[in-house]
Amino acid sequence: MRDYLGVVWAIVVKDATVEWRTKTAFMSAVVFAILVLSILYFARDPTAVSSMDIAPGALWVTFTFAAMVGLNRAFLLERENQAIDGMLLTPVPRTAIFVGKMTGNLLFVGFVELISVPLFVLFYNVSLAGRLPQLLAVTAMATVAFVAVGTLLSAMAVRTRFAELMLPILLLPFLIPPVVGAVQLTSRILAARPASELMGWFKLLAAFDIVFCVLAILLYEATLDE
Amino acid sequence: MILTPQVSGAAGVNADAGAGVGAAVTDPLLVTEAVTRRYGYRRVFADVTFSLRRGEVLALLGPNGAGKTTLLRVLAGLLRPSGGSVTRNGTVGLVAHNSMAYDALTARENLAFAAKLWGIVDAARVEELLDRLGLVRWQDQRVATFSRGMTQRLAIARALIHQPDILLLDEPFHSLDDPGVADVVRLLGELVSEGRGRGRGRAIVLVTHQLERLVQLATSVGYLVHGTLVGPEPMDDRSVETIAARYRGLLNRA
Repeated sequence: MRDYLGVVWAIVVKDATVEWRTKTAFMSAVVFAILVLSILYFARDPTAVSSMDIAPGALWVTFTFAAMVGLNRAFLLERENQAIDGMLLTPVPRTAIFVGKMTGNLLFVGFVELISVPLFVLFYNVSLAGRLPQLLAVTAMATVAFVAVGTLLSAMAVRTRFAELMLPILLLPFLIPPVVGAVQLTSRILAARPASELMGWFKLLAAFDIVFCVLAILLYEATLDE
Repeated sequence: MILTPQVSGAAGVNADAGAGVGAAVTDPLLVTEAVTRRYGYRRVFADVTFSLRRGEVLALLGPNGAGKTTLLRVLAGLLRPSGGSVTRNGTVGLVAHNSMAYDALTARENLAFAAKLWGIVDAARVEELLDRLGLVRWQDQRVATFSRGMTQRLAIARALIHQPDILLLDEPFHSLDDPGVADVVRLLGELVSEGRGRGRGRAIVLVTHQLERLVQLATSVGYLVHGTLVGPEPMDDRSVETIAARYRGLLNRA
């Protein structure tokens, strides 16, 4: 188990080091997040639609598409110089490679979300007082779900000729359930609805997390087939 | 599905444990039986059969597109054969066309990452390989800044990090300058004979078009032409002309 976690950690550190030095995906994702948040804010008619009405949707559109930038990059990095072969030649479990890549993606998306939330609060005049723990829980649960399936599909899409185009096409249908759940929860949390109204959606997100993570780990090895 | 290397005994996680634990010294390290590989309906090669023992170097010759690289990937376990079987009684190191290195990492970081995946905790192993492959001066430079020759040296160092029993080399002299070629030839010679008396020599499959190097290193030569492996034939005559004439003859055979 210690060896397994050591491999996972080595992959996470390697991916973080590469991203820190190149900053390509991170900068693209952050710029994209700023653009989406600001465009959606200024596109609405303030006399007809309050910012709070579109805030949950704006937040999750931003998170979802900004995450895709990072997810796309995750396995493209491994295809450069066929670095993935170097990992596959070693005796490390294939699932450790997947969990390492997924953890790296979670960190990446987490950082993008961390930068996006203050902008979201600023643009949409949202008060997070007393709601932050619940919002954090929703964000974490939904992020785990779409990063798990996104990492798996990224591993598949990277083998195709139009990898960067393929990932959104493959991923978007799978994103609908967790993102709908996340939007519903976010809007209820921001409207200070009682906890009893939230539980059903939380359970649904937890179910998506379990199903997506287990399936992604089980199916990863199949994506390595040539 | 990626093949799990069929290693007798413990998989070579430890740098010193990759000596085909459980296999007798004279047992072949690499055995292929009627290996066939297809891409869809296109057959790349068929019925490739040979075995390789410690201290043996099989050179593979073949024209471009003959399937030499595909065969090496099958031998390494990166590709599943469409038919037949590959048995590896030891750990495998591969030098492929691509360096398998991360451009944004330094040479040292690339080797340290590979070492970690192989479970090698001894940091001296990275130092040793940097020194042996002449990369010490550039060890803290990012691979993106490397020349092709330096990248090739790094690829060789990476393949050797876990002291593999079986070494698969796809054009290892590619992009190297003359001193680099001489260094690698010397290194390969050492690797083959290293500890041979103690049953620790390596088996090498070498793909190269450089016949001068081939005759220096190979103990047998196989010709992959028209989707078939002719040989391996023993290197009775270490003459470039003889090998070249034999190769031309096979190529011209309909």
